[in-house]
Amino acid sequence: MKRIFSVALGVLTAIGGFVDIGDLVTNALVGARFGLSLAWVVVVGVLGIVVFAEMSGRVAAITGRATFDLVRERLGPRAGLLNLAGSMAVTGLTFIAEIGGVALALELVSSVHYLLLVPFTGLAVWLVLWRVRFSTLENVFGLLGLALVVFGFAVWQLGPDWGSLLDQATRPSVPGSEGVPTYWYYAVALFGAAMTPYEVFFFSSGGVEEHWTEKDLGTSRLNVFVGFPLGGVLSIFIASSTALVLLPAGIEVDTLGQVGLPVSEALGRVGIAIALLGFFAATFGAACETGLSVGYSVSQYFGWQWGKYVRPRQAALFHVVLLVSTIAGVAVLLTTVDPIKVTEYSVVFSAVALPLTYFPILVVANDPDYMGEKVNGRLANGLGQVYLVLVTLAALAAIPLMLLTKAGQ
Amino acid sequence: MSGRPVNPRDPAEPGRGGRRMDAALRLLDHQLVDRDGRLCGKVDDLELERRDDGTLVVTAVLTGPGALGPRLPGVLGRATVAVWRRLHGDAEPGASRIPFERVAGIDSAVRLTMSRAEVPTYGLERWARDNVVEKLPGAGNAPE
Repeated sequence: MKRIFSVALGVLTAIGGFVDIGDLVTNALVGARFGLSLAWVVVVGVLGIVVFAEMSGRVAAITGRATFDLVRERLGPRAGLLNLAGSMAVTGLTFIAEIGGVALALELVSSVHYLLLVPFTGLAVWLVLWRVRFSTLENVFGLLGLALVVFGFAVWQLGPDWGSLLDQATRPSVPGSEGVPTYWYYAVALFGAAMTPYEVFFFSSGGVEEHWTEKDLGTSRLNVFVGFPLGGVLSIFIASSTALVLLPAGIEVDTLGQVGLPVSEALGRVGIAIALLGFFAATFGAACETGLSVGYSVSQYFGWQWGKYVRPRQAALFHVVLLVSTIAGVAVLLTTVDPIKVTEYSVVFSAVALPLTYFPILVVANDPDYMGEKVNGRLANGLGQVYLVLVTLAALAAIPLMLLTKAGQ
Repeated sequence: MSGRPVNPRDPAEPGRGGRRMDAALRLLDHQLVDRDGRLCGKVDDLELERRDDGTLVVTAVLTGPGALGPRLPGVLGRATVAVWRRLHGDAEPGASRIPFERVAGIDSAVRLTMSRAEVPTYGLERWARDNVVEKLPGAGNAPE
């Protein structure tokens, strides 16, 4: 019974923890402009994150080494440091976007301007990173993030023509009002949002935090194979809701409030209250995950003791990195940069950084000296290679498309 | 430095000079773990010695900025070494050295027979602990 409970808990937190500010904003924005004609990208992206999260979790369980240990080992100090700089620039940008997202969610609840809430939010995030147990952090925000299921109820309540929705999703075409480059720009953005590198840094380091061994492979796989795809379904519900309400009205999404509009339209005040809880939990949980990912990756490159499985005084440099990056994140937000814009750029730059993360994982997951019998099978390798090509294409296309479309205008 | 790769899980091969392995792949840039399971740096470089019969043997693991700096490119590498020299007590500090006799085992990490406080590069971590982390409220009793 206890076993079933812990497995169910893991899956539920994986669903709730999947969606972050990048998924929220990008899916809502894309739904409002392109309907469901880009839903296929979410499906492709989710399969990709499933393939590589499973690999990185398996490597962590068998060898005890997290993703940036592998990057340093296989790429050496030079290329490893370049990789660290690129990955941390993107993860740091995502961290800023998540803290901003928490502040925006709190603004919607309290009507206090979000800039006044940013320092308080930063402090709250740091306190959680400093004091709260790893498992508590993961479970609480993951479970509360399930409140986003309200988007599913909203879509159902709006009583859409399911046939036409399915038709949009399965026979994608560029809507007449949008250009082809813009369509592909948002395809790359959605792909980046679904496959954000920090998810793998966090997932593999989390496996080490929770002392996974070979015995935990089943649980880890179940979380990935069930939790992530259901998280992807939540993403598609968000896009569907804005496609149904905002697209016909010609409203584009540039605020977090607009992401919630379809829910209040369909379910009224109760609905929007639940959606706001979901926004808060999803962004706060992801703020903790991205913050930790920065600390994990830097520490793993240099070999410092990291993790919340030891007391802070035993992982001093790791906690210094967490503190400094939280302060830096708050400082950037206080320049009054728009958090939604930061989010939009963070998902595109995520796409640029994808090959940096996924290549070393694929190499190590194939090393029999390391992995023994648990090396990649044919399926994992086949998919891994296909996705390596896909992420490279997305990475190469991202910046030219951004310039060509003036960031999707 | 290269030999045929050896399964790190195998017990050490008996014979002259210990184990043959691909040191660049199996040692370099790997994690150092102390006798209590704490992480304590990377194998930033290796000290090699040529035996009379021409074989190379690893005599020490080098760790810390003094070893990492020379492997980084250009200005960054020189700056790393310069900062390391400035902060180090000795006038001409070499890279921090852990004799290979203190290596207890090699799997996905390099396991040492010493505590991390004895690793020469523990200074930065100790400084951060004493001057930053210990000063923050709740450092003493934060949960694991």
